[in-house]
Amino acid sequence: MKIMHEHKLSYYINKANDLDIGKFGKKIRIAILSSFTLNGLAETLTVKCAEHKIGCTTYVSGYNQYNQEILNSKSKLHEFSPDIAFLILDSRSLLGDFFYFPYSISGSQRKEFIEKKIIEIHSLITAFKQQSKSKLIISNFNIPTYSSYGIFESKTDYGLHEMVIDLNSKLTELLKQDSSVYLYDLNGFTTRFGASNVFDYAKFFYGDVKITFDYLPHLANDLMGYVKPFLGLNRKCIVLDLDNTLWGGIVGEDGFEGIKIGPTAPGNAFVEFQRHLLSLQQRGIILAINSKNNPEDALQVLREHPYMILREEHFACLKINWDDKVVNMKEIAEEVNIGLDSMVFIDDDPVNREYVKVNLPEVLTIDLPNDSSQYARALMDLNDFNVLKITDEDIKRGKMYFQERQRTEFEKTAPNIDDFLRQLNIKLKIKNADQFTIPRISQLTLKTNQFNLTTYRYQEEDIKKFSENKNMLVRCVQVEDKFGDNGITGVFIVRKDNKTEWTIDTFLLSCRIIGRGVEEGMLGHILHLAKNEGVTKIKGLYIPTNKNKPCENFLSNYGFKKENDYWIYTLDSIPSIPEHLSVDIK
Amino acid sequence: MISKKLDSIVARVMGVSPSEISDQSGPETIEKWDSFNGYVLLDEIETEFGIKFSLDEAINIKNVGDIKRMLKDHDVVLE
Repeated sequence: MKIMHEHKLSYYINKANDLDIGKFGKKIRIAILSSFTLNGLAETLTVKCAEHKIGCTTYVSGYNQYNQEILNSKSKLHEFSPDIAFLILDSRSLLGDFFYFPYSISGSQRKEFIEKKIIEIHSLITAFKQQSKSKLIISNFNIPTYSSYGIFESKTDYGLHEMVIDLNSKLTELLKQDSSVYLYDLNGFTTRFGASNVFDYAKFFYGDVKITFDYLPHLANDLMGYVKPFLGLNRKCIVLDLDNTLWGGIVGEDGFEGIKIGPTAPGNAFVEFQRHLLSLQQRGIILAINSKNNPEDALQVLREHPYMILREEHFACLKINWDDKVVNMKEIAEEVNIGLDSMVFIDDDPVNREYVKVNLPEVLTIDLPNDSSQYARALMDLNDFNVLKITDEDIKRGKMYFQERQRTEFEKTAPNIDDFLRQLNIKLKIKNADQFTIPRISQLTLKTNQFNLTTYRYQEEDIKKFSENKNMLVRCVQVEDKFGDNGITGVFIVRKDNKTEWTIDTFLLSCRIIGRGVEEGMLGHILHLAKNEGVTKIKGLYIPTNKNKPCENFLSNYGFKKENDYWIYTLDSIPSIPEHLSVDIK
Repeated sequence: MISKKLDSIVARVMGVSPSEISDQSGPETIEKWDSFNGYVLLDEIETEFGIKFSLDEAINIKNVGDIKRMLKDHDVVLE
C-alpha cells in the first residue's frame, strides 16, 4: 500500500525530548483523553506542532480515566486547562461484553443500549463544557467488520454492525449544531489505513496497543488538522504551475493538441487532479497560476481545451510570464491580498520548488510526487485547508475574486476615483448578529488583520453572548455592487457604557473592500445610531499590531481626537455618510 | 553488518550510542528501556527486518542477546 511518508515513532519520542518549545510565539495546550493507551501520541503531536512553530504542551489522562477527569472539576485535566482536548474512544471499550456477545440480548435491547450510550456521551460533553472553555474533539467508533452471524449479519435487526453505525450517526447529529465540539472520524482513519494494519492482535495482547505504532504519526497528522485552524494556521490559496502540473507535457513544445489532458491515461490523472482542485476552489480556496509560459499558449489551453476542468474564471490571479517565480509569488500575495504564510505552492519541477522553499519559507511548498498519478492523492493528503467553520462567504469566494478582477478592469476605464465609486453602485446592508451571521462575524474577528482597529479575537460563543447583551451592539455589513455580492465583509461591536457614552470595541473590514468608502459608511452608521439615542461621546481605540497599519489613521482622519489611550468623537454635528453609498438596515 | 543494523536501531530507539550496546543491554542497563520503549523497539525491528515476532517471542525478549536469537529463528542472518 502506498502511504504518505512518515517517520518511525521513536523519531518523535526522542525528538520531543530535545525541543525547546519556549522559543515559539504560538502556544497550544493539548489534552489527550482515551479509553486505551496512546503512548507516543503526545510526543508526536509536540514535534508536529514544533514543525509549525507552535509551542505545544500536552496532558495525557490515565488510561480509561476520562470520565472522572471530565466530571471532577478539580481533576488534573481541568487544572491543566487545555485549549483543545481529544477524546479518543474505541468500540471494544464502549461495547464491553456486547462486542463479543451482541446476540445475547434482543434487537430492541441492543437499540436501548446504544441510546443509553449516546445519552452518556451527551452528558459527558455537557459536563466538559461546564468545566472547560476548551474545544473538544470526540472520535467516532470503528465499525466492526466481523460478526459471528457471518453473512446473515446484514439480515439481522439492529445487529452488531448496525449498532455502531447508528451510534456514529447519532453522535454526528449530536455535534452538528455545537460550535465547540467536533467529531474526529476515527473510523475513517481506520478505513483509510486498513483495520488489519492499524490493529494487530500480538501488539494488543503484548502491550494493550490498539493503534500500531507505524500509524500513530498518521493519527497525529489528522489531529493536527484541528490544531492548525484553531491557531489560524490554515492555508487559503493554492498557487499552481502549468506544464506537467495541470497537464502533462509542455504546451510551448508539444503544442495545444500535444499536451496530455483528457479521458485516457496519462491525461486522466491530470483531469482527476484538476477536479480535486476545483472542488477546493468551490469551497473557498483561492487558486492562482505561477508559470513560465508564453501567456497566449497557456491562455489558449485554459480557454479552449475541451478537457480542461479549470478555466480562467477559477483563478484569482494569473502570473503566466518568464519572470522569477519568487517575484511572481510575492505579486500574487499582494494582488490577492493574503499573506505568503497562507499560500501553498505546487510545481512539478524540484528546482523551482527548492528555489521557492529557500526564498519564501513561509509558503508551503509541496513535494509533489514524480508520478502524476499520485498528484490527486498528494493534494488530498494536505490537511492545511481546514477551518473550524465554512461560511457562505467561503463558498462564494472564488466567484468574488473573479468579480474583483472585473472591478479592477472597470477601475482602469473610469476617468477618476469618484466616478468609479459612483458607477459601482455600492450598497451596504447592515445586519444584526443572528444565528445566520454569528459564524461569519466570529470568523472575521479571528482572521482579519489589516483593517482591524483592535484585533480582539472572538469565538462564536463570545459573539453570541454579546448579541444577547442589550448594552452591546453587534452588527455586520454585507457589501454589494454592480459586479456582484461581496458577502459579509465588515463587523463592528459597540459597548454602550452609559446613556451618553459608547465605546467601539471592534471595527473591522475585510481588506478586499477597503478604499471604497465602506469604512466611512460603517462608522457614519454607528455615529448616527449614537446621536439618535442621545449619546454625546464615542470612544475608539487603535491597538497597533504588525499588520494593522492600514487603519492607523482612520479614526483621526474621520475627526476623532486623541485623549490619553482613546480616540474621542464628540457628537455635536451629525456626520455625513459618503454619498455614493446606499445604506440599508435590516 | 546485520548486528550493526540491529545495534543502530536499539541505539536510535533508546537514545544511546551504538558502542554502548552489547548482548546484555536491556532494561537493567539502559535507562530509557521501559516497557513502552521495549514495545517500540520490537515494532521497529520488525519493520526494519521485515519479520514479525510471535506473542511468545515478544514476551520472552529481555535483552539484545534475546533479540539476536529470535532474529536467527526468523532466518535473519547475523554476521
